[in-house]
Amino acid sequence: MDSFFTRYRNLLVLLAILLAQIVGLAVQVRRTGAGRNTLDPRDEPGVRLIRLWANALVSPPERLIHSSKLGADYLWQNYLDLRHVREQNRDLQQTIDRLRLEQAALLEDARQGQRLQGLLDFQQKYIYKTVAAQAIGTSGSDQSRVFYIDKGADYKLDRDMAVITADGIVGKVRDVFPHTAQVLVINDPTSGAGVILETTRIRGILRGNAAGQPQIVDLLADPRIQPGERVLTAGGDLVFPRGMPVGVVEKVVRDPERDSFIDVIVTPAAHLDRLDEVLVITSTEPRFSPQQQQDLATSEALKGPEAAAIKEQKKASEVMAERLPGLTDPNLPPDQQPLLDNSNPNPVAHPPQALHPDRFTPGAASGPAPATAPDSSAASKFEAGSKPSQQKPGQEKETTPDNGTTRPVPKTTPTPASSPGRQTTPRQAQPQQTQPQKDEPRRNP
Amino acid sequence: MSVLGADFRRDFEIRRYPFLAYGLVPLTALVLQAWLPRLLGPYAWFDLPLVVTVYFALGRRSPIQGTLMGAAMGLFEDALSHHAIGVNGIAKTVAGFLAASVGVRIDVENFTIRLMFIFVLSLLSSAIYVFVYRVLLGLDLDWGWFMALLTALGNSAIALVMFPLLDRLQLQD
Repeated sequence: MDSFFTRYRNLLVLLAILLAQIVGLAVQVRRTGAGRNTLDPRDEPGVRLIRLWANALVSPPERLIHSSKLGADYLWQNYLDLRHVREQNRDLQQTIDRLRLEQAALLEDARQGQRLQGLLDFQQKYIYKTVAAQAIGTSGSDQSRVFYIDKGADYKLDRDMAVITADGIVGKVRDVFPHTAQVLVINDPTSGAGVILETTRIRGILRGNAAGQPQIVDLLADPRIQPGERVLTAGGDLVFPRGMPVGVVEKVVRDPERDSFIDVIVTPAAHLDRLDEVLVITSTEPRFSPQQQQDLATSEALKGPEAAAIKEQKKASEVMAERLPGLTDPNLPPDQQPLLDNSNPNPVAHPPQALHPDRFTPGAASGPAPATAPDSSAASKFEAGSKPSQQKPGQEKETTPDNGTTRPVPKTTPTPASSPGRQTTPRQAQPQQTQPQKDEPRRNP
Repeated sequence: MSVLGADFRRDFEIRRYPFLAYGLVPLTALVLQAWLPRLLGPYAWFDLPLVVTVYFALGRRSPIQGTLMGAAMGLFEDALSHHAIGVNGIAKTVAGFLAASVGVRIDVENFTIRLMFIFVLSLLSSAIYVFVYRVLLGLDLDWGWFMALLTALGNSAIALVMFPLLDRLQLQD
């Protein structure tokens, strides 16, 4: 008997170790009610001890290597490689100014949106608190697309917290260790995120494929889905806040197993292969965070009056565009009418000739007249570069087509209701874009 | 007689390393395997723990030691991933055992044989991984053999550099 064990001890040790590992695997994998085997069907809150050991063994050297790399990068970027920094700084400052202006302009809309959401009992979750973390390592296997960050339970991280970058979503926290955490990336086949296509509003589930590309699966074929459409988080998975960028549709492929279904391959917005610093969303609240409120206040203080002026200007332009009667401004002398403005870059269109002139026909104030619009002669003069004739202020001259003489007409203030030709006279359409700017100071002294 | 011959050869050609090398080299391989993909992205076509397992199995020529080292390396690799713990363990256990068993019988000092050996063991390890995952466990696994082939080539290339470096660690009697 001893000789048997001695002779086959190598083989017996191999079989024993293999058997132990197979039993260990059998304990981890479960069969679901649908007859499929799956790993961890229950979302167990704890961490397996062996994962903790492996992490405790590998993470400290990883942190050391990562810190050394960061130190070298810091030395290079902040002391050696400083070319174009001033230009970048200036560009960034301009970007900040522009964003502050936009933020201040959108602030009132956001507040109004919050009020309306409150009325509708719908609470939009805002990112309230984040923790910045560095990616320090990976799983080392292309079959397991996870990476490790240098923050863990010591920073109050928890499972299923969303991990993002400034570009878009990255993944979610899967396991939390004392000083590190494991993040499951959205391009792993076992991941899942609720997403929505921005324009078509089609919802789906995002997960990774074998090539490491995120794709939206289980979608019915829809010709509206085209490459280039943006993909956002839908917010229904209770992990990612709604409306965060996910990526862009790269292509649409048919599901190889089901004919009527398609898979939408997505180019991720975040650079999943080159992640350095990420943000872990540790809290979402139905209100802005103090930092966001501080940013808003700063923007409002810095750019609020400017943004308000721009908003008021746009509003006035819209109002004046509605009220704009035509090219004739009664408050201006005839020689300063917009029609005669040589600086107008848009050429004046010739009005169509009326087939059946009536009293509303330009140039036919009383009774039917020959269908030659007097304005067209003025326009022709204008186009020919001739100087218009002088006339008294407060009077408009109308040229009769028969003899070319002019006669004064009473000065009136036309309104939209009193300008029946407004909708049909084509020459009135173009100056509406430039007229409000001239009229605006009078409306808002 | 052949068994005695193999034992004699094993005792004659067995390599010895400092005690720390048995801990630090595998640990370094695990750390680099976890860290380098951050730099290389999708081009990390190598399996350093397998290379180290095969190297020590070939050098020590002890199937039991090769089996234990392969199991330990594979289990730690599995523990760092989010997959079931034991799949890589089984694959590397078999690889370590085979490396040590074959190392007793063939001349592994020849560099070409070493490279071919690690290439074949890399493919075998991948095959065992897929077999355990898909057949034994019945789990879904997206797999590409082209990537396995690239990994095997990468392991051979790394072994070309790493084996002479590790040879410097061995103790001379």
